Amino acid sequence: MVNAPTAVTALLPVLLFALTGLALLLIDTIRPSGRSNTSMAVVSALGSLGALGATAWLVVSGTVGVDAGAVRLFADTIAVDTMALFFIAIFASVTALVVVAAHDYFHDHANPAAFYSLVLFATTGMALLAVANSLAVVFVALEMVSLPSYVLVAFLKQNRGSVEAGMKYFLVGALSSAIFLFGISLVYAATGSLLFGDVAEAVGSLDGLAGVAGLGIVMIVGGVAFKTASVPFHFWAPEAYEGAPAPVSAYLSSASKAAGFVVAFQLFTEAFPVGASVGANIDWVLAFGIIAAVTMTLGNFAAAVQEEVKRMLAYSSIGHAGYALIGLAALSAGGQANGTVMGAAMAHLLVYGFMNTGAFLFVAMAERWGVGRTFADYAGLARRAPVASTAMAVFMFSLAGLPPFAGFFSKYFLFQAAIDNGFVWLAALGAVNSVISLYYYSRVVKALFIDDPDSPSALDAIDVRPTALYAAVVFAAVATVLLLPGFGPVIETAEAAASALF
Amino acid sequence: MTAVAASIPPSWYLLLAATVFCIGLLGVLTRRSALYFLMSVELMMNAANINFVAFALYYGDLTGQVFALFVIALAAAEVAIGIGIILVLYRNFGVTDVTVPTEMRW
Repeated sequence: MVNAPTAVTALLPVLLFALTGLALLLIDTIRPSGRSNTSMAVVSALGSLGALGATAWLVVSGTVGVDAGAVRLFADTIAVDTMALFFIAIFASVTALVVVAAHDYFHDHANPAAFYSLVLFATTGMALLAVANSLAVVFVALEMVSLPSYVLVAFLKQNRGSVEAGMKYFLVGALSSAIFLFGISLVYAATGSLLFGDVAEAVGSLDGLAGVAGLGIVMIVGGVAFKTASVPFHFWAPEAYEGAPAPVSAYLSSASKAAGFVVAFQLFTEAFPVGASVGANIDWVLAFGIIAAVTMTLGNFAAAVQEEVKRMLAYSSIGHAGYALIGLAALSAGGQANGTVMGAAMAHLLVYGFMNTGAFLFVAMAERWGVGRTFADYAGLARRAPVASTAMAVFMFSLAGLPPFAGFFSKYFLFQAAIDNGFVWLAALGAVNSVISLYYYSRVVKALFIDDPDSPSALDAIDVRPTALYAAVVFAAVATVLLLPGFGPVIETAEAAASALF
Repeated sequence: MTAVAASIPPSWYLLLAATVFCIGLLGVLTRRSALYFLMSVELMMNAANINFVAFALYYGDLTGQVFALFVIALAAAEVAIGIGIILVLYRNFGVTDVTVPTEMRW
């Protein structure tokens, strides 16, 4: 039995996100007409950093740890474990970067309070998703992430692209959450419980209801595929990322995707463990294998033929979802490297959180300057904005997985772990895809540093210095580089957190 | 009342829920109006509610019934967001037909 103070302490990161969101609404109520954009951004950033600090403190103080085990609250419906804290750290970092960048992006927007509070509430949902230990909490938290996200994508309500993107995201999202919910209801019908632990027990001894449970699990896989933008439900991603304001694209493609993965990792280790599921003839590992292979191939090939940078990044983010899915696809019943492969996928998502957010924020900066959207429009930008362009080059090479950057190590560990667990074909496919991705990532760098602009006046648009956006981009680049020496502790933490679930 | 409900085999509830779900799915796939889309998604979510309530009774466990209430609230929230998005869609494009807006490649 856990007493009330422990509950508050263990949920401190989640509560901090929620309280910051409410505080933003309060500020907006007190000063509805004031130019409060700066104070909003400061409060949001402090709230996210506070949650990041609280997360680190929970680990350091040993309240939650691999040895101490998970803190279980509210009749076991919430379990705060190391994996959840690892992902909450990703969400908090991405949120902090995005709100700082948004300060410049929405500098002349009429109602910035709505933006900041929606971001914080969506992050609350993500943090809740990470600690969920019941299918009911999973669904409520998933909707808590999705509903603000729909609004954020359609946030520029006079911009036809933004509205269209919001509409398409909403259509696919509402459909897939209905499918996900029906999957949960089938699992409940077959097992009689919504708690992960009880479901796992019942999955081991299904008599005659394996078909119902299997169909339910397939539908749940569909819901996960939507959140992570993986193949059968990836159609929304290029549209939503291209049409949405760039900070929102950064947020969705990094934090929201990681949220999809944390729920997938926890569901498919704790509720539908691989051994029991395969025993009941529900081979979701094979399903994830096919999804991972198709997702990474489709994402990378589609990215290679894009002309717009933002849309290229959208497809590249689909490709990276394919890599991270190896964390589930390369599991096997009793596999020796199960914890390693899932831990490597977690580490990849952390690195990806910084490099992908940074790349989208560079696009936000280009949108703020008003240079165009295509590769050709980016030509010669390095002459006027050398620092930001260097940061962008770091993101691109890291996303491609070139050796001196953090992206190389996370991919290397991921593919190595997949090979250790006997999935050589997945690792080989991932390596081939990484080579293809180098083509389109280096196109950006070539445009920035080598190509000449169409006309000498093309670069005159760069007349403002958005300080906060610059800071966010540079910080993301520094983090991407620093994760190189810091990768050891990251991968160790991730592997320990993942191994605790097997 | 309970005796009557309990005397119906649980597979019938599953069949009913699956039928309602498929009607909703068919609506999503064939209707072009965003408003019909909202109604169809509502049908799909309520199909899940049938399962939750029926099997809560079958297992003698309240979890499913309580969760069904949660789902009703969430479905209402989703409709509220959806109507808002359809409203800005109508203001920008003058239609509620989801196949008309094609600013970007689909």
